[in-house]
Amino acid sequence: MNSLEAIGLLFALLAATTVLGLVWRARQGRVASVSGVTITPADVASPTAFGPAATLLQFSTELCARCPGTRRLLAAVAEQRPGVVHVDVDLTHRADLANRYAVLQTPTTLILDGSGRVRARVGGAPNRVDINATLDAVTQNSNIRTPTETPGASYV
Amino acid sequence: MSRTPRPMLDPRGPRFGAGLTGVLLLVVVFLALTGASAAALALLAVITALFAWGALAGAGRHPYGVLFKKFVRPRLAPPTELEDAAPPTFAQGVGLAVTLVGLVLGLVGVPGAVGIAAAAAFAAAFLNAVFDYCLGCQIYLLLLRFGVLNRGGRTVENV
Repeated sequence: MNSLEAIGLLFALLAATTVLGLVWRARQGRVASVSGVTITPADVASPTAFGPAATLLQFSTELCARCPGTRRLLAAVAEQRPGVVHVDVDLTHRADLANRYAVLQTPTTLILDGSGRVRARVGGAPNRVDINATLDAVTQNSNIRTPTETPGASYV
Repeated sequence: MSRTPRPMLDPRGPRFGAGLTGVLLLVVVFLALTGASAAALALLAVITALFAWGALAGAGRHPYGVLFKKFVRPRLAPPTELEDAAPPTFAQGVGLAVTLVGLVLGLVGVPGAVGIAAAAAFAAAFLNAVFDYCLGCQIYLLLLRFGVLNRGGRTVENV
């Protein structure tokens, strides 16, 4: 292969990798609304109780560059909102939890409503605005909800 | 859980190093494509050795880290936060695995192995340098999920 063709291939490699990176970055922190299972603190071996309004359930590992920053961000968000609790679960020694909740990247954050039901899922490092908007929606809905509906059965 | 204090790094250091590694890997791909196989193999061997250095000594003691501290960091604003050295060190190990496979297959004479391994390692290094993507973190989680690491759910410290 001559040099010109080789340089052309290098540019193709560069372009393909750039597209990959842009797609990855666009998906980082995206909040997906899900209507999922109900999780209790015991399910994830959490020593702290979940929030009466909502819970930010973060999954991390010890080898995760963005987990500490996410931990600080979510803790700060929870601090500012009454009834919202942040829980960080380390999957390093609990691979079973990673499999059970299909965690494909760290950090992954599940947003639970007051009854512990999964309402949203955030893959990658979240951003504060989207988390707050989701919490607004989740806490608003659970206020309207009739009390008879709240104690959801655990499907996990 | 007991958390031993681990070395902390300016997170821009490993990304700077990944940038240098990426450029070198691109040169390897170019050499492999233009038929300069001996040169490609030699340069890949150098890169593999640098990955081994980072993986064994820790990302904080990598030669690129020294370059960063001496020449780049003084020109930058102070870091907004420091980062655990463990993820970039593990990433060096992943890079070592990929380039080592390419190097061994290249030495045995498998056609295209050097170029393909260099291209794969380039993609990871480029994503790390430009987008702050941590392939090592991703692979670590997958290894956990497949039970390759921490089988039986017990920590190494407790053994």
